[in-house]
Amino acid sequence: MSITPVLAGLLNLGVVLLISPFYMTVVKKVKARAQRREGPPLLQGYYTIAKLFRKEVVYSDYASFISRIAPYATLAILLVAALLVPVIWIPEITVAEGNIIVFLYLLAFTRFLLALLGLDAGSTFGGMGSSREMSLSAVIEPTTVVVFAAMAYVAGTLAIPEMFRHATTIIPGMSPTILLLSVSLFILIIVETGRIPVDNPETHLELTMIHEGMLLDTSGRNLALFELSHAVKQTLLMTLLINMLIPFGIVQEVSVLGLALATVLFLLKGTALSIVIGIVESSFAKMRFFRVPNLFMMAFFFSVLTIFSEVML
Amino acid sequence: MITNEVAVSLLRICLILVLISAACLLSTRNLSSLVRTYALQSLILVAIALLIGVLEQKSILIFIAILTLASKVIGIPWFIRIIQQRIRIQQDLHFHYLQPASALMVSILLILLVYLCFLQVLHDLFTRNSLFFLGSVIGVSLMLMGLIAIFSRQLAITKVIGYLSMENGVLLFGLFVTELPFITEFVIMVDLIILVLLTTILTVGMDSSIDAYMNRLKEFHLWSEEEVNA
Repeated sequence: MSITPVLAGLLNLGVVLLISPFYMTVVKKVKARAQRREGPPLLQGYYTIAKLFRKEVVYSDYASFISRIAPYATLAILLVAALLVPVIWIPEITVAEGNIIVFLYLLAFTRFLLALLGLDAGSTFGGMGSSREMSLSAVIEPTTVVVFAAMAYVAGTLAIPEMFRHATTIIPGMSPTILLLSVSLFILIIVETGRIPVDNPETHLELTMIHEGMLLDTSGRNLALFELSHAVKQTLLMTLLINMLIPFGIVQEVSVLGLALATVLFLLKGTALSIVIGIVESSFAKMRFFRVPNLFMMAFFFSVLTIFSEVML
Repeated sequence: MITNEVAVSLLRICLILVLISAACLLSTRNLSSLVRTYALQSLILVAIALLIGVLEQKSILIFIAILTLASKVIGIPWFIRIIQQRIRIQQDLHFHYLQPASALMVSILLILLVYLCFLQVLHDLFTRNSLFFLGSVIGVSLMLMGLIAIFSRQLAITKVIGYLSMENGVLLFGLFVTELPFITEFVIMVDLIILVLLTTILTVGMDSSIDAYMNRLKEFHLWSEEEVNA
């Protein structure tokens, strides 16, 4: 039993947990700047989570055990998913047994828990949020599967570390299939993290909220855990895109200097991607609910095209 | 000068970009971004023509690139934009037969169909040069996607953009399956048809659907009732 996988896993979790709130704040900051506001300070994500952790937890009278375990379970599941996605270091021996299909189902499981939580408190807003989330996810899921299938087809493997290893052998920006895949993955990030054309993360207006609707009855520590898991989910999806499209700097032969450099590079690349997400979010209006499937269709089209062009070229 | 490998990989990226722009043409509702997408698609075609010109060292392709740049990237979009300012129409929200989502589905099937057919017909080309094979497949697919745009859109101006995109497909096919003299002639012919279409529609009104346009033609005695019945 070697120590390397354990070390790599811990490092991965640490990086993901530490960086995630920062990226969320960067997106918020960019959106604020686009509206000519000052925006929150860059560490606001951490302050919010720290503040929420100190606050009291209040449960609804109708809440069952679901409300009590869902926050912990969601974060735990996402951390397991984080073990599958190497962020800065691809070790020789895999950290966790699993592949992109497991990753997909872990994400779907968190969504299921969230929908249950929305129903659990017995408020109408939560129920509406859950209902919307589930009807959207019924449309998202096939697209997600096809996008991940295209990814697996391009890389020739189902294991995520091997995909990234494959990506490092390609000159960035020179492979049309990877470019196409990135477009689909970007749409996937927007959709899965509930960003603007699909859902507005800042709204608490009853007519529009999806993700926030389900969290309306959580408070204190539980809300902090949900905020953190939302951020972790976004970081994981962003990592998939970054390490497929621009993997340079990712460490394969371990060294302290290399790891430090990779962390800094990942921070920069992630910040750049967050800025892009922020700009996209500021330049679109929220879509009408029944027009959202068009967006998924685009992602679907591009990923099918990815498979086609991989076959044809 | 750029090396052959770089040119080939740039060509591949351009081909993919052409398909992306075609998908945008099918699903965009905003008229000005529709025109912008068309101009961008033509610009990609210019890049493709230049790259093939470099690869095969044929000067005629450079001329085609210049011609395309002048007419389709600058000329036609500029023309449409002027008209658009006059008629103050910004969106085309009406689709018949196919909504954008299903139009994309159909175009996936069409690309697959074209690929399978060409695999039978142009088998030699496929074994000799897969890039040129891909180019011809995408050219014909672009043509068919333009066709979908024509019949799923309602306004005359978006139909015209569908025609233009079809013509781009013909040009792309002509660039890759290199029988230039004949194909070039064909391209110019289609161009003329489009020019006629553009001018007639532009003069009588772009803000209307085909039916309304017919009515207006009748109003101005440009189209007699007997001809319609006959």
